[in-house]
Amino acid sequence: MSFLVASFKKDLSRWWQDPLAVLLWLGIPFLIGGLITAMVDGGDGASPTGILLIHDQDESLFSGLIAGAYSQGQLGELISVEQVTLDEGTARINAGEASGFLIIPDGFGEAFLEEKPVTLTLKTNPSQTILPGIMQDVTEILLDAGFYAQALFGPEIEQINSSVSDTVPNDIFVADIAVRIQGKIETVSPLLFPPALDLKVVEPPPSEPRPNIALLFLPGIVLMAILFSAQGLSADFWKERATGTLRRLVSTSGLLSRFVYGKALAAAVVIGLLAGITLTLGFLYHGLAWGKFVPSLIWVTVSGVGLFAWFAALQMLFPTQKAANLLTSILLFPLLMMGGSFFPLEALPDGIAAIGRMSPNGFVVDRLTKELTSATDWTFDAKSWAIVLAMTISGLGICTWRLQTGFARR
Amino acid sequence: MLAVRNLIKQYGDFTAVDNVSFEASKGCVFGLLGPNGAGKSTTINCISGLLSPTSGHISVAGADIVKEGKKAKRSLGVVPQELALYEDLPAVENLKYWGKAYGLRGSELQSRVQEVLDYIGLADRARDLPKTFSGGMKRRLNFGCGIVHGPSVLLLDEPTVGVDPQSRQRLFEMVEAERDAGACVLYTTHYMEEAERLCDDLGIIDHGKLIATGTVNELKSQLSTRDVLQLNGDFPDTGITELISTLSERGMHDLELISQDEGVLTLTLSKASQHLPEIFAAITKMGGSVAETSLRSPNLETLFLLLTGKELRE
Repeated sequence: MSFLVASFKKDLSRWWQDPLAVLLWLGIPFLIGGLITAMVDGGDGASPTGILLIHDQDESLFSGLIAGAYSQGQLGELISVEQVTLDEGTARINAGEASGFLIIPDGFGEAFLEEKPVTLTLKTNPSQTILPGIMQDVTEILLDAGFYAQALFGPEIEQINSSVSDTVPNDIFVADIAVRIQGKIETVSPLLFPPALDLKVVEPPPSEPRPNIALLFLPGIVLMAILFSAQGLSADFWKERATGTLRRLVSTSGLLSRFVYGKALAAAVVIGLLAGITLTLGFLYHGLAWGKFVPSLIWVTVSGVGLFAWFAALQMLFPTQKAANLLTSILLFPLLMMGGSFFPLEALPDGIAAIGRMSPNGFVVDRLTKELTSATDWTFDAKSWAIVLAMTISGLGICTWRLQTGFARR
Repeated sequence: MLAVRNLIKQYGDFTAVDNVSFEASKGCVFGLLGPNGAGKSTTINCISGLLSPTSGHISVAGADIVKEGKKAKRSLGVVPQELALYEDLPAVENLKYWGKAYGLRGSELQSRVQEVLDYIGLADRARDLPKTFSGGMKRRLNFGCGIVHGPSVLLLDEPTVGVDPQSRQRLFEMVEAERDAGACVLYTTHYMEEAERLCDDLGIIDHGKLIATGTVNELKSQLSTRDVLQLNGDFPDTGITELISTLSERGMHDLELISQDEGVLTLTLSKASQHLPEIFAAITKMGGSVAETSLRSPNLETLFLLLTGKELRE
C-alpha cells in the first residue's frame, strides 16, 4: 500500500508542475460551453410573434369580428394583425414579411347571415411552420363558431345587422332582442349547463419541469473537460517509458498494479478538481440543488478515471507513442460529438442519441443529465455504478498487463 | 550470489543469448566484456526480470528470478545504461520513491536516502530537480537510485557510456565501494580498460555466446607475449600466405596471421617493432603498400581479437 501512495504522490507532484495543461483542459470546454450557453440561453425571453395581414373587402360587422378575434387574449401575444390593401398584402407575403395574409371577400357578412357558401383566402408563409399553422387553426375555429352562432341566433343576428345599417336602435328594440336571446339561452341551458356530455376530469401526473436547454449542455461540457484531461494524462505511461523509469520499475520488487493504481489515484485528483470547478460553475449558473453536487462530483470523477484507464490501455496497445497519441486524438472528437458534449443527447436524432448513450462518455453524460434535470434527489443506480467501476477496473487491469508484457521495455 | 545457467534468449529465429552460464560471488565484480550487440544488455535484462528467458535458470541471492521474482528483485539493484530518473521530481524524492519501490519505509528509508545523497555527492542539491543537473550529476543520481535499498547484487549496464572522465572516475570509485561493502556486481562494458581496472572475474561475450571466462590474470595468461600489428593499406588478394612464409623464413618464426579484411591486415609477432622495415619491404615487393601502422602490446582487447578475429569496438 505504501508503494501505491508513493506512486500517487509522485505523479501528483510531477503533474502539478504543469498547470498549463490543467488550464487548457479546463479552458477549452469553458470556451465552447460559454459560447453555447450564450447562444441558447442569451435571449430576452420574448416569445416569437407573427404578423397576420388582413385585407377586408367586406368591411361588415362580421368581417370586423373575424379580424378582431386574432388580437384577443393570448392569441394577441402571438399574432400581430395589420390591415392592408390587396396589393400591399400580396407583395408582403410574397416577400416573406408576414406569417399569413387573410382575404375576407366582399359579401362575407351577407353570405354568413343567409347561410350561403363563402370562401376566405389565407395565404401562409412557407418558410414558417408554427405561426401560420396557428393562424389556419384559429380561422377554422372562428368559422365553426360562426356556424353555431348562426344556427342558434340567426334571426336575432339578422335583425341586429339590419338595425346597424339603419339608424341607432331604440331601447324597445334592444330589450326585445335581449329578451329573445335570453329565452333561447334558457331553452338550451339544460343541455349546456351542465353539458349533456359526461365529462370526467382526470388530473395528469405531475410532469417534470421542462429543463432549460442550456442546462442540457452542462453535463456534456463537464465531460468534455474530463475527456481532454483523461486523454492527456493517459499519455504519461509513454512519458515514463521514454524516461526509462518503467524499465527501472520492472526490475524493482514493487507491484506493478500498485504503480498503476497510484497513477489512477493521482488522475482522480486532477479529474476531480476539473469536475469540481466545472460543476460548481454549472450549479451556480443554473441554480441547481446543492444536494446533488457531491454525488455528481463522485460520479464524474469515477467515470473520468475509467476513461483515463481506457485511454491509457489503448495507448499502451500501440507500438509507438506517435501512433498511440494519434489514435486517442482521433477517437476523442467522435466521442465528444456522439457523447453529447457538442450537442445534448436530447437534441440528437433518436438513432444517433441511442448510439451516443452507449459510448462511454455518453453513458456518463446521460446519467448525469437525468439526475441534474430531475426534480427529485439523486438516485443511486447500482447498475450504472457497476458499469463504470467495471470499466475502470478492466482498463487499469489492461494497463498492468501491458506493463508486465513488454510495454516497459524500450 | 548470482548464478546464470544455460541462459538462452531467442527472438523468433534470432538467438540473442546462446547458452550463457556464469557465476558471480559476494564482494566481487564480474565483468561482461563484448562489443555492441554481443548480448550483454539482453543478459542483464533477463537477470533484472525485464525479459523472460527462453530457457535456463537465473538465481539472485538464492531466489529464482522467474519463479520467485519478488524475492529475487529485493536483492537486486539495477543501474541502467540510459538514465532512468524523474527529471521533474527533486533528487531526494527520486531516491525516496525508488527506495519505497523496494520496500524501504520510515526511518530506515530516511537514513538510507541521506546516506546515498552524501555518497553520490548530491546532498547540497537534494531539493533540486534533476533537469537542472549536469550529465555527471544525473549519472550519479541514476547510480544512487540503483543502490538506495542496499542491494546484495548490483547490475550495471554500460554505466559509463557518454560520461565525462571525471564522472567516470567517481563512478568507478562507487562501484569499488559497493564491492568492498560486500555486494556482488555484474558490470557490462565494451571498454577493455574499465574491465581491466574494475573486474575481478570476466566473461567475454560475442554473438550471444560466452567465449571465455576467468579472472583478468587468467585470461591474460592465455595471451602470448606477442605484439599485435595492424596494417592498413593496399594488399594484393593473393600472396599473403606467401608473405607470411617468406617473413618466417627470415627469422620471424612466431609470425601469425590473425585476420585479413579489405585493406586491413592483422598479425601477431614477438618484438614486432624491430621487424617493421623488413615487413614493409616485403609488402612493397609483393606489390602492396602500407598507409597506417598500429602496434599494441597484448591486453584483453588483443585476446578478444584473437578469439573473434575482430575489434572489440566494431
